[in-house]
Amino acid sequence: MHVTKEFKKKTFLKQFLLGLHVSNSISNPISIEQRKNSIKLSADLAMAFARGRTHWTHALITKLGQKEENKSTLKGILGRRYQILMARYSCPLLYQKVQRRKKGVRSYRFSYNAQKRRSALKGSCVRVSPSVVARNLENRRSKVLKRLVPGGELLKGSSLLSEVLDYVISLKAQVDMMKSLWRATQVSSSSNVELIPKCSIAKEGSFLHYSK
Amino acid sequence: MSSRRSRSRRSSNSSRITEEQIVELVSKLQDLLPEARSRSSERVSASRVLQDTCNYIRDLQQEVDDLSERLADMLATTDMTSAQAAIIRSLLM
Repeated sequence: MHVTKEFKKKTFLKQFLLGLHVSNSISNPISIEQRKNSIKLSADLAMAFARGRTHWTHALITKLGQKEENKSTLKGILGRRYQILMARYSCPLLYQKVQRRKKGVRSYRFSYNAQKRRSALKGSCVRVSPSVVARNLENRRSKVLKRLVPGGELLKGSSLLSEVLDYVISLKAQVDMMKSLWRATQVSSSSNVELIPKCSIAKEGSFLHYSK
Repeated sequence: MSSRRSRSRRSSNSSRITEEQIVELVSKLQDLLPEARSRSSERVSASRVLQDTCNYIRDLQQEVDDLSERLADMLATTDMTSAQAAIIRSLLM
């Protein structure tokens, strides 16, 4: 898996700036909270678009599209593409799969505990292999990860880990881009526009060449 | 009873096959984490890496939240078009 983030810079910026513009132009008497949410929405959408088609981007866009308060901003950002994209990213199967999996986890844990109890009653050591024990500990931590990563509920094992890796890389890139954007606006607002050094932004952007 | 034993054997087989993958992914995650620079690569367990990853993801999401708030404040107070023109000029050229 060799994925570089070279393309992400421009795609993210274009998408995010568009989102900022939309956030700024919709209904002027708007609360800071709403503006912040719409900016956050633009950032997440830009991150998902910049990364391309992966499991978590699909889940993220689906989640963003389903919230009522996001709809007007999304329509502004996506324009004519809104209908097409929302049709593509509204997947009811997602939730059916989650329900089925939850039942599976419960039955696995029950059988593991029953096995442990039976061995304890017999007076012998627990006949559970260490790999199962390690996996159980990992499962507990993975549960938290699954909640944090969009779409994580459906994955397990190595696929979950690779999604987490990808998501962390993208998140870090998103934060870096937003930070450099923020710094650029600070410089431009406080001094002459021409003084913004092109090289500093480009240098920070080059840190985004993450590869797997 | 036998089906349960064979099931656990089958699942432990599959975990052995992908264990190297998992170890590799965990080590890559560890490299990404900010604490990676102060620790040697061998001493950290997988569950610790997962714990640190959870915290790191939460921190990053919180940072996005803060940055969105700061940008929202900035948008509210300054004229966007001039700042936008400056940013576009400096970042995309």
